[in-house]
Amino acid sequence: MNILNPIALVAALLAIPIVLLYLLRLQRREQTVSSTLLWRQVILDREANTLWQRLRRNLLLLLQLLTLAFLVFALTRPYLNLPSTLSGRIVVLLDGSASMRATDVSPTRFDAAKAEVRKLIDELGPNNEMSLILVDGSPRALASATTNKSELNAALDVAQPSLAAANWSAGVALAAAAAGSNSTDNAATTLILSDGVNADDLQLLTGNARFIPIGVSGDNISISNLSLRKTNRGLAAFVRVTNTGSQDDRVLVSVHSENVLLDARTLNIPAGQSVSWTVNGIDPLTAWVRASIDQANHNALPVDDVAYVVNAKDATRRALLLTPGNQFLEQALAVLPNLQVTRAITPSEQVDGKPYDLYVLDGLSMTLPARANVLFIGAQSIFTTSGSFSNTAFVRAEQHPVLESVDWRPVNTSEVRRVNTPAWLKPVIEGQGGRLLFAGEMTGENAPFGRVVLIPFELRRSDLPLQVAFPILIANTIEWLAPPQGLNIPASVRPGDVVALPRDAIVQLPDGNRVAVDQRGFAQTDQLGVYKVQFKDVNSTFAVVFSNPAESKITPNPNLQVGGVTPSSEVKPQYSQREMWGWLAVVALLLLMAEWWIYQRGLPVLRRKKL
Amino acid sequence: MQIEPILRSLSSLQFVQPRRRPGVTTGERRSPRRGRSVEFADYRDYTPGDDPRRVDWNIYARLERPYIKLYEDEEDLTVHVLLDASPSMQWREENAPSSPKWERASQLAVAMCYITLISGDRLVIETSSRARYGPKRGVAATSGVIEFIERETLPAEIADGRVSPNRVTQSTNLNNWWKRYALDARPGLCIVISDFLDPDGYADGLNALGSSRLDLNVLHTLSPAELDPEFAGDLRLRDIETSATQDISLDDAALNQYRQRLTQWTGELSEFCRRRGGKYHLTDTGEAVEKIVLRDLRHAGWIA
Repeated sequence: MNILNPIALVAALLAIPIVLLYLLRLQRREQTVSSTLLWRQVILDREANTLWQRLRRNLLLLLQLLTLAFLVFALTRPYLNLPSTLSGRIVVLLDGSASMRATDVSPTRFDAAKAEVRKLIDELGPNNEMSLILVDGSPRALASATTNKSELNAALDVAQPSLAAANWSAGVALAAAAAGSNSTDNAATTLILSDGVNADDLQLLTGNARFIPIGVSGDNISISNLSLRKTNRGLAAFVRVTNTGSQDDRVLVSVHSENVLLDARTLNIPAGQSVSWTVNGIDPLTAWVRASIDQANHNALPVDDVAYVVNAKDATRRALLLTPGNQFLEQALAVLPNLQVTRAITPSEQVDGKPYDLYVLDGLSMTLPARANVLFIGAQSIFTTSGSFSNTAFVRAEQHPVLESVDWRPVNTSEVRRVNTPAWLKPVIEGQGGRLLFAGEMTGENAPFGRVVLIPFELRRSDLPLQVAFPILIANTIEWLAPPQGLNIPASVRPGDVVALPRDAIVQLPDGNRVAVDQRGFAQTDQLGVYKVQFKDVNSTFAVVFSNPAESKITPNPNLQVGGVTPSSEVKPQYSQREMWGWLAVVALLLLMAEWWIYQRGLPVLRRKKL
Repeated sequence: MQIEPILRSLSSLQFVQPRRRPGVTTGERRSPRRGRSVEFADYRDYTPGDDPRRVDWNIYARLERPYIKLYEDEEDLTVHVLLDASPSMQWREENAPSSPKWERASQLAVAMCYITLISGDRLVIETSSRARYGPKRGVAATSGVIEFIERETLPAEIADGRVSPNRVTQSTNLNNWWKRYALDARPGLCIVISDFLDPDGYADGLNALGSSRLDLNVLHTLSPAELDPEFAGDLRLRDIETSATQDISLDDAALNQYRQRLTQWTGELSEFCRRRGGKYHLTDTGEAVEKIVLRDLRHAGWIA
C-alpha cells in the first residue's frame, strides 16, 4: 500500500490534546465529609463495579485515539495497486446496431454490454480518462475524456440500441479522435463491446485495442420479405421467413390485414434456410398487411419478427405508348414519376384487357375504350384533316395547364396538318399558318374520350423534341391527361429515414400520436409500423420496415480481428490505483459510535445538585 | 445558640423512666430504696464511691466499719448528658458561619439539660473532649450549661476541614470515652447525643454505659447531608477527623447503596439499644428543635 498524501500524518498530532483532555478529566473533585465510615462500606459493596469504571475510562480513551488514527490515515489517501484491466486513457466503443437488441443474453445484448461498461467505469482509477462512443447508424460520443464516474454512468444510462446497422468506419474515426496521441507512454486503450455482426470495418482500428464479445448464439428467425401482389382473386401477400440460426425451428407465423387476422401457419424452417408462404384472397381495398412471427423456439432478435407492407393506392398511372419508335418521346415519358409506360408497336399488341389511364398514340391508331385520355401525335384516323401548312412561327399561346412553363417560340416545324377538330378540342397554340396544338375535354359518361391533347404534326418533322419545352410539355400533358391520385411517397421506408412530405401534412404514428410536417420533411420514423398521412383531402399510408437482412444474421463473432491483430482473451496484468479512504472513514465512524455508546452506559447521575 | 426562647415551653416536661432506679440524694421521686429522710430505715455497707458524708460515723466509731444510713426517702434522678463534640459533629461547609448539625445537637443537649434541671434532677454533662460540667441542680445552672457547650465549639478551620484536628484531644473515640465514663457514673438516665460516626465502632462503649446502673437513651443525630447525600460525580471524599480519603464515582446506584447501608447501620444501632432496654431516636438535625423535642421525643416516650 502506498500513500498519496503523506502530509496529512501531521494531523496525528491531534492525539496530544485528546490525551491531555483525558488526563484532565481524571481529576476528582475533593469533598470534605463528616465521616467516610459509611462511604467506605459502600465502596466495598461496589468492588466489582469499580473495575468496570476504571476499564471504561481507559476504553473510552482507546476508542477516541483509534478513531483519530483511522481518520488521519484516511486523510493520507492510501491506495492499493490492484490488478485491473484499465490504465491511462480509455476509449469505449459500444455497438448500438440492431443486432444488439438480441435477447440471447438476458435482458438484451446491449444491456449486457452496458453492464460490462459499468464494471469498467467502476474500475477506473482517479487518473484514468474514459470516452464513451455509441456506434449505430450515426455514431456519436456520449462522454468525452472524463474522469467523472457519475457523468459516465449517467451518459450510459440513456444509451439505447438503434434499428440500423452500425457505421463502424465512422465509429473508428471517432475513436481515433478520442484516443488522441498514440505515444507509447500515454497510449490509449480502445475497448470494443460488440457482437461482431457486420463489424468488418473494425479492422480499420489501430493501436491498443481489445474486443469484448457480447452475445452467445446466432439463433434468429426473421421475416425477410413481405410484399403484396395483385391477383385476379384480390391481393396476395408473399411472406418469406428466414432462419439465420444454427438450429432447425418450428415457427408460427400469422398474417393480419389491418389488425384483422387473415391466416396463421406453422412453418418448419431448417437452419440457415428460408421458407415462403403466400396468403391469397386479401381484400384489395385493405390499407396495409402485417406479417408477424408469433412463436418460435430459437428467436433472439425481436425487431425483425414483424413486417408491414402498405397497399399503395395506385398513385402510379398506367400509360400505353403506341409508337413505331421515338426515343425522345420514350425518354420524356420514362422520367415521369408514377407513370408506368407500356410500349406497344402494333395496334394489336395489347397487354391486359384493363383500360389504361392514358394513351399515347404516336402516328398509330387503335381502338380505344370509352373516356380514354389520349395524347395524339402526328397522323391519326380519328379526325379529318384538310391539308397542311408550314408557316409555324409562334403567334399566340392560350392559357392552359398543358402549356405551363412551356416556351414554344423556338420551336420550328416543317409541316403541320390542318386538322378538323371538333368543337370541344380547342387550339392552345397558334402559329402563323394555323393551329399547332390542341387540348380539350369531353363530358358525358359515355363520351368516347376524356381528355385529349393533339399534336398535329409528326415529331420527326419538328425540332420540338430537341427543345427544352418538349419534356415540360410532355410532363404537363401527362399530368393533365391523368392526374395522379395520392401523394408522392414511397411505400416503405427504413427506420430513421426522412420522408419528403408536403408541408402541413398530418402524420399519424403507429402509436397513435399525430405530428404535423414542417418544411424539413418528416423524420420521426423510429417506430416500426404503418404511418397514415393526411394532406388536404388525400390520405396515404407508408410503412417503416426493419428489413435489414444483414442485421438479422445475429451470429456473434467473438474472434473478430481488431487493429490487425487478433486480440487474446487473457488480459496482461495491469495495475491501477484503488483508493481506500472511504473504508477507513467508515471504520472511524463505527468507532465513534461505539465510544458514544460506552460513554452513555456509564454516565453518572447529573440531575442532583452538586455540592 | 438560640435555645432560650424554646426553653420556656419545656418547663413542664419531665423525663420518663422505665423503672425505678436507686438515686443518691433527696429528689421528688419515690424510691424503692431507703434514702435520707425523716424516717430512719436501715444501714448498709459502705461501698467505694458512696458519698463519705453519708457514713454514719457513730457506727464507724463503734464497729470500726463504715456503714451508710438509709432513710425512707424520695428518690432523685441523675441525668447524664453525653454530647459528642468531635469534628464530625461540627462539620461545616467552607466559609459557612456555623455548623447546622452542631447547632442542632447543642440545642438538643441544652434542652435535655434544662428538662433535667427544671424537674429538680441532678445533671452531669460531659463532651467527648472529656470536659465535664456538673453535677448541678436547679434551673440557674442553665446558663452555665449553655456557656459550657459553647466553649466546646471547634474553631472554623478545623470544623470545615482546612486544618486537621488534634489527634489526641479532638478525635472521637466513642468506646474509650464511654467506657471511661461508665466507670464512675451514678445510676440514672444516660442521654447520648452523637452521630456515632466512629471508625472504631460504638458497641463496647454502649455496652459499658448500658450496664444495670444506667438507662440508655440514644439520640442519633445525623445531618441531612449524611441522611440523604446530594453530591454526585467523580469525587475524592476526605474524612474530616482522620483525613483518610475515599475515591468514589457517584451515580444513582452508588447513592442507593449508601442509603441501604445507612438504614442497615441505624437499624443495628436501634436494635442494640432496644436489647439493652434503652431507647433510640434517629434525629434529623435539619428539623426544628421544637419539633424534635416537643413532638418526636414525646411521641417516642422520652419525655412527658
